[in-house]
Amino acid sequence: MSSSLRQMLTCHWSARRIQRYLDADPSAPLTPGEVRRLEEHVATCERCQEVLREHRMLHRALSVWSRRRSVVDPAAVDRLRLVLDELADGPST
Amino acid sequence: MVEAERRRAFRDVVEPEIPVLLRVARSLSASDADAEDLVQETLIRAFRGLHGFDGRHPRAWLLTILRNTNVNLHRRQRPMVVDDWELSNSRPAFGAVSQPSAEDSFVAEEFDGALQMAVAGLDPRFRSTLLLVDVHDLSYAETAAVLGVPVGTVMSRLSRARDRVRKALGPTFATRGEQS
Repeated sequence: MSSSLRQMLTCHWSARRIQRYLDADPSAPLTPGEVRRLEEHVATCERCQEVLREHRMLHRALSVWSRRRSVVDPAAVDRLRLVLDELADGPST
Repeated sequence: MVEAERRRAFRDVVEPEIPVLLRVARSLSASDADAEDLVQETLIRAFRGLHGFDGRHPRAWLLTILRNTNVNLHRRQRPMVVDDWELSNSRPAFGAVSQPSAEDSFVAEEFDGALQMAVAGLDPRFRSTLLLVDVHDLSYAETAAVLGVPVGTVMSRLSRARDRVRKALGPTFATRGEQS
């Protein structure tokens, strides 16, 4: 197998795992071997470095974008806490 | 005594999840009042079904009840679509809510409108997934519970949604990152 074909396959392999690598979600973890292979590839592949950078950039932008929005109504949270108290303690008399 | 402990444990487990339940409910409801009613009904049903809860993954358990309650309240099965744009008026409930850096704030400011349009332009199924994971900060499993789809579907939709948002933001967004 030529080195360029091998590189292309590794890029494809990495691209399919970058989301899971960055999210580190417990439902879909990468194995330590996959993490090592991906990091080694990204360290030497400008194209995949760019993909990784774009993923991180979007994640940061979405994170800040969502943080800038308002929170839920604290009064509603308080009312629901009272409901929870009634369930846990029984209705007050 | 055992019953009292069970009730106390229920409160301890559920209370921290109320804000995220409310946010997700808001995304499934027509109004704030409906969302609050939905969460209240969810809490009642969770309490009644406490015996069936194994103590693990309380948020996913509650979100599943929330979803089923919403379906039952509407008396018809329908695809769960987080299509209420008020959903953008929310933010992750837990963890990781550190103050953004000046650079992050600048980027968000610069792309605020573009992000809004890019996300709004997504297919509702993709938008739902993106918002639940990236805005509500739910895990894949929790998002799967809300949407009633397998985790693999969540991952697939999330990947497509992010890809489309990145493309919609265009090359300016990508090059902007090089300056940060």
